Amino acid sequence: MHSLAVIVTTPPSSNLTATALHFIESALAQGINVVGVFFYQTGVLNANDYVAIASDEFQVIEKWRLLHAKYQLPLHLCYTAAQKNGLSEEKETNNIACYFTVSGLGELVELTSAADRVIQL
Amino acid sequence: MTQSTDINTKKQKLVAIVNSTAPFSSTNGRDALDLALIFGSYEQATSLFFQGDGVWQLTDKQDATLINSKDYLKTFAALEFYDIENIYACQHALTERGLIDSPFIINNVCVLTQQAFSDKLHLHHAIFRF
Repeated sequence: MHSLAVIVTTPPSSNLTATALHFIESALAQGINVVGVFFYQTGVLNANDYVAIASDEFQVIEKWRLLHAKYQLPLHLCYTAAQKNGLSEEKETNNIACYFTVSGLGELVELTSAADRVIQL
Repeated sequence: MTQSTDINTKKQKLVAIVNSTAPFSSTNGRDALDLALIFGSYEQATSLFFQGDGVWQLTDKQDATLINSKDYLKTFAALEFYDIENIYACQHALTERGLIDSPFIINNVCVLTQQAFSDKLHLHHAIFRF
């Protein structure tokens, strides 16, 4: 079975993020083993619990949650990038959605090594 | 890091990190360099590519502090300690910007024609672009 790692470097407001989501959904539906998604640069904003998207727009944040719930898809966050973008996992100020795993760039190296293909959008 | 043993036993991927944006108007260059150094510290075979406006990152004697930016370019000097020795720049991009005869901030840059640049990039298994 082919395996895939995906790196997301764009915020929820970017169309590239929606493309990445559709790409991952299609891969999973075809039985491709997606070993993980890694969020880097402003891609980390996809984990921000406080982001509100107007109800008549594509609910990209909710889509990540559903994707994780349906496939137990690991969603890794670069914590250095997260901190630079106002995300915190401190108890009182935590605004990172619980279905994200706080990781470091080393995790991206691991994913790159583990997967047959690495795709960045 | 439970998979770290897998990394060394599995067939190594050649990793390319492509810089295509100018150094200080976004964090792309810094983020790309951070990633390169991490791959280097995991002893993964990593090459750096500079194309388009990315070649501005190679220009010597830029003073980032004048525009309140962190001078991450001096960290390029650390690449050799991480065994990142394959550094390629696109000749066409340098010529277009009048940089073909300008000194580089690091001395082991290999300038390639567009075709050779493309061929070299195709030898890599994972490509990250910033």
